[in-house]
Amino acid sequence: MMDELELLKKDWQKKDEYLPKLSYDEIHNMIWEKSSSIVKWILIISILEITLPNLIYLSPSFREDEFFENVSNFSSIFIAVNIFYYSIVALYIYQFYRRYKEISVLASAKNLMHQIIKTRKTVKHYIIFCLSMSLIFFAFFIFGVSISDEFLRDIMAGMGDNSKEIPLDKIRTTAIWVLSIGGILFTAVAGGIYFLLYGLLLRKLKKNYKELKQLEV
Amino acid sequence: MNKKLEHQFVTELESNQNIVHKVCTLYTNDRDSHKDLFQEITIQLWKAYPKFRGESKFSTWMYRVALNTAITLYRKSKRRIKTQNYDSVIFKIKADEYNQEQEQQLTLMYKAVKQLGDIEKALVFLYLEDKDYREISETLGITEVNARVKMNRIKNKLRTIMNP
Repeated sequence: MMDELELLKKDWQKKDEYLPKLSYDEIHNMIWEKSSSIVKWILIISILEITLPNLIYLSPSFREDEFFENVSNFSSIFIAVNIFYYSIVALYIYQFYRRYKEISVLASAKNLMHQIIKTRKTVKHYIIFCLSMSLIFFAFFIFGVSISDEFLRDIMAGMGDNSKEIPLDKIRTTAIWVLSIGGILFTAVAGGIYFLLYGLLLRKLKKNYKELKQLEV
Repeated sequence: MNKKLEHQFVTELESNQNIVHKVCTLYTNDRDSHKDLFQEITIQLWKAYPKFRGESKFSTWMYRVALNTAITLYRKSKRRIKTQNYDSVIFKIKADEYNQEQEQQLTLMYKAVKQLGDIEKALVFLYLEDKDYREISETLGITEVNARVKMNRIKNKLRTIMNP
């Protein structure tokens, strides 16, 4: 085998004449092309993930929704939770930015992979946080609905007045079921999409990283 | 200043482009992907160029960026239909320089190398480029001992691929 590899090495170093040759201008044009690297993809996906849920919430049509106005009036907890939520979001954006900046193509192969995995982890934690928050919101509604008639009426008022004739207990049971199933379903679908997306994007990287890590054992 | 930097970079890359082409040859299977990867490596090199302060040779620095791009950063675009019958550079062997047995061996070896994993290819590439184990280990971020161990395993693996 040694001989064969030596032979290969000798031949490899003579390959130059077969290689393509790009001109100065061709190379010059390339430096202004857009990168499509995996890091760029992570950045784009992360920005979408961080902004989209907030955009939906901040959009005027959503805010003017009677439903949310009613609920918002109901409790100051809602405002407190919001403040808490946005400070955590800000913290995540800051941390993501810092880690993203740390990614350097000049690092060793293993370190580069490690930096990317670390950056992705920040987003992963953020997503888990968001999903937990959405579950908490649903739980908060379910709790509100089950203990307070007023809260239930507030929600019903937000949804329109045509349900007044139905007995309150029946509405309550239905609301609890709808909220429970809706909450779990929403979390599962959102989480599923997220993990599938990153799973596909980082499959190759993880395999290679594992291979380098395994050498240390 | 920027124009000067640009000119300096393109000139350096132009004269060292073989390194990048060789990486592309190992990591891609058709002409379009080759070009795609070459472009991505060029972009990454250019982005990192301001940080390159001539502490090492331009070519040494290129190995790292090129391999990092090929192994980790580059994402194959799926929209492309594979170019058929691409006669890869890697399989072009000067017939008059070797006897028939050697020629056959070389073709088999290149085929076997192409079947290796990303990390294994990187090791073989640096080895073929006559880099020592210190440089190989630093480029990949593993210890020198582990680089040797890995290289031995790759030699065994190549043997198995060639003599199934």
